[in-house]
Amino acid sequence: MTARAHRRSGARLTGAALARWVAVAGVLLFTLFPAYFMVATAVSAEAGSGTEVLLPEALTLEKFHFVLTEAGFLLYLRNSLLVALVTVVASCLLALLAATAVARFRFSLRTSILVMVLVVQMVPLEALVIPLFLQVRDLGMLNSLIGLSVVYTALAVPFAVWMLRGFVASVPVEVEEAAYVDGASWGRMFWSVLFPLVAPGLVATGVFAFILAWNEFILALTFLDDGDKYTVAVGLRRFFGPYTNDWGAMMAASTVITLPVMLFFLAVQRGLVSGLVQGAVKG
Amino acid sequence: MTRAATQPAGRPIPRRDGAPRLTRVVPLHWMLLLPALAVIGILLLYPLLRVLLLSFQDYGLDNVISGEPDFNGIDNYVQLLTDPYLWRIALPNTAVFAVVAVGGTVAFGTLVAVLLRSLGRVARTIVLSCVMVAWAMPAVSGTYVWIWIFDVDNGLARQLLGAVGLIGPEGFNWFTERLSFYAIVTLNVIHHGFPFVAVTVLAGLLTIPREYYEAALLDGATAWQRFWHVTVPTIRPVFAVVTILSTIWDFKVFAQVYLMPGGSGTNPEVLNFGTWSYIRSFARQDYGLGSAIAVLLTLILLAITVIYLRSLFKDEEFE
Repeated sequence: MTARAHRRSGARLTGAALARWVAVAGVLLFTLFPAYFMVATAVSAEAGSGTEVLLPEALTLEKFHFVLTEAGFLLYLRNSLLVALVTVVASCLLALLAATAVARFRFSLRTSILVMVLVVQMVPLEALVIPLFLQVRDLGMLNSLIGLSVVYTALAVPFAVWMLRGFVASVPVEVEEAAYVDGASWGRMFWSVLFPLVAPGLVATGVFAFILAWNEFILALTFLDDGDKYTVAVGLRRFFGPYTNDWGAMMAASTVITLPVMLFFLAVQRGLVSGLVQGAVKG
Repeated sequence: MTRAATQPAGRPIPRRDGAPRLTRVVPLHWMLLLPALAVIGILLLYPLLRVLLLSFQDYGLDNVISGEPDFNGIDNYVQLLTDPYLWRIALPNTAVFAVVAVGGTVAFGTLVAVLLRSLGRVARTIVLSCVMVAWAMPAVSGTYVWIWIFDVDNGLARQLLGAVGLIGPEGFNWFTERLSFYAIVTLNVIHHGFPFVAVTVLAGLLTIPREYYEAALLDGATAWQRFWHVTVPTIRPVFAVVTILSTIWDFKVFAQVYLMPGGSGTNPEVLNFGTWSYIRSFARQDYGLGSAIAVLLTLILLAITVIYLRSLFKDEEFE
């Protein structure tokens, strides 16, 4: 009896293992295919049709050259980088201060502020874009990259506070108390003790802010009409006409704007995930 | 854990330890909060109030130039709610799409999470990194890739389906039909959104103590029963979070529709709330009606948010 039972469960195990690997292959195919197709189109010499680029026969980097130089994508990259860096620095700083306040102090209105921070993230950009456009227009800041960064900072701060709050809360209070015992002031404790300990959280938050600014479309589309000020998300539209689509150039440009985001994502995925989970789940 | 707040000597002392003692004119925590609250107030809350005011106005190009408001009461809302376009096109394009996309994203993401848990450490890390690629792809470039795949003339989908004889040589325009248009948007949104669900649910799965499963096994539970009676109840809060966040995100998809052929206004059949509001405001210069549509979308999202907060407050020691 035992031998037969063993053999049966052995067969079932390999069957299950096989099914599992088929499922893994399916997931990998689905998740990677668009990225593969994008890169394949960008590097294949002939990009006339979908099947042609599926397995490119001749490879070329010419489209990247065209996109970066002639099509002016280098300028868009610079604009996006500027906007993203300002957003990252400003939103991390503001969010860390605010997160410390809500994680370390008990005060009236604290819960109201937390709820407000949570609710404000749900407001659709489609509702904000109309008044923000009028506001920014009145200030004469349309086509201003700094103006755009300031708006992005406001968009990033609520989620950044929510996320950092978990990181600040997970630093043991005893560590801070030890700093006070050693005679540190609050400011000294903040920069020399708390700041290094929440650094992983800051990295994850910074990456989040970077990606938000780098990918944002609707506000950039509305605020920027001067071609020299385009960010990458808006600049991409230049290759997409109603009648002529230069898919090779389009995918080369898409690859260029996807790469930094992907590298950041892979670099911090652990921190990002735990940050999201702490921020979103633990409350 | 955080309840034991710090008590720096000579600094504001947390309230729960006794009567509040103001040692400064402005307590430290308010000074820490002020910059963030100022930015949120000026750039998020004030515009929100303004869009509400705009929705009660007839605000066109001349108002943009003069800056003078033209209040017309609830005219915009009356016009909006009596418009068959809202009920026949925009609402289904927004709500039905969101339900289908959220269902697909959460179901697929959960399956992937369960699959990931069953893998060894190395395999899990590799597959997880690949899953992240879908998440990391910016919505804008991802959308263009899907447009390219379904391109009417030379797209991969047309050629592959043509090769097996499913579509004829005349081809098929996926973008003019509402259903096929939104099928592509759904594919795009699920592809972009499932990694968040998978990763979050996986993190939840990994926190379930092994003993729970061992106990269930001792009781003779099948794999399916273990999933429904151990896994699901234990990580129910995680499901609540991913479902509600996905719902909010899918209600306000914009670029994924706007960038598709016809999505920027040339094909009125395919607009959702977001794109409709945007086109009304910026292409047709009718900011009042556009604001009313945006307010409607915001109200729907607010209702979903209230449900979200309730589930969060109920499950957590969130105080």
